[in-house]
Amino acid sequence: MIQLLIIKSTSRISGIFAANVTEYNLTPGNSLIFVIIPCFNEASVIRETVKEVVEKGYHVIVVDDCSKDNPGKQLKGLPIYYLQHRVNMGQGAALQTGICVALKKGAEWLVTFDADGQHDVNDIDGMLHKLKEEQFDIVLGSRFLLGAGGNISAGRKLLLKGACYVNYLFTGILLSDAHNGLRVMNRHAAESIHLKENRMAHATEILKEINKHSLKFGEFPVHIHYTDYSKKKGQSLLNSVRIFFDLVLNKIFDR
Amino acid sequence: MTPIQVVLTAGIILIAAYMYLRLRNTFLDLILILLFLITGVVFVIFNEITDKMAHFLGIGRGADMIFYLGLLFLFFLMLKLYARLRRVEENLTELVRKKSIEDAEEFEEKN
Repeated sequence: MIQLLIIKSTSRISGIFAANVTEYNLTPGNSLIFVIIPCFNEASVIRETVKEVVEKGYHVIVVDDCSKDNPGKQLKGLPIYYLQHRVNMGQGAALQTGICVALKKGAEWLVTFDADGQHDVNDIDGMLHKLKEEQFDIVLGSRFLLGAGGNISAGRKLLLKGACYVNYLFTGILLSDAHNGLRVMNRHAAESIHLKENRMAHATEILKEINKHSLKFGEFPVHIHYTDYSKKKGQSLLNSVRIFFDLVLNKIFDR
Repeated sequence: MTPIQVVLTAGIILIAAYMYLRLRNTFLDLILILLFLITGVVFVIFNEITDKMAHFLGIGRGADMIFYLGLLFLFFLMLKLYARLRRVEENLTELVRKKSIEDAEEFEEKN
């Protein structure tokens, strides 16, 4: 049995954590699976999201991207790895930090998971199964594949479908969904991928890296639960313009 | 001299003076500043020269030529600045990441 330790950085939060390992037993099969949850100002929902994942028996790495609302306090007592960026660098940067730590901790499989509670933990198992079965390096969640569920609005669907084609133009990979935060990858993929896009353009950069390192990839239908909260926190039209701009800059400067 | 020529000449001289005071002046810097000062002032005061150059290039007025070239230069500068911004951000991210992992490891050792 792997012993879990709760990590926190020394700044801002002081001594409020206690490892409660006995409460959460890891099933041996899940002990090499690390779920990375980047988090920025999600204090109201973070505990619920993280708890669900922890109870499934996965290792959890929460990367707090310098939130203003101190999510560490909410996570008190949960057996997780907790890291804190001292400067807000963006979701892409937080994900990459999580990946670095997971690799250091000997992860064999890595999962990226959104903090706002829109993903379904039960999808992780299916994705892992597909990854192992069909020997993919990375499996990307899709809310538009047959078998996916959720309550997506027509406007959002249109925007995301448009984003799929933008991604295709920039990376040459056409998927059924764009900017889906739920992904499962093996160690090889995690070691190959290095995210330099600090903000939301990392979702496209992952596709670029898949192409560059010739990783085997697949898609898997996932369930997205849009709550009022996640809709408010989600990507707006204005934001997608920003992402597009980042992509253009990426195309110009990073080869 | 027309009033606008006075304003532009004064502006050019002030910018040159500012660059001279602010930049760490190597010999090359000094030459560049001097070059900027002289061409700027000459173009402003003897603006027939720019008209002749513009005609040669197929542009109606000297002012238009300066405008086009200036736009091109500004766009180039913007790209350079973006490239630099991205580099700086990349370095900062690396630092923040390293620090967050170090913090965590330090905590892990203590407990």
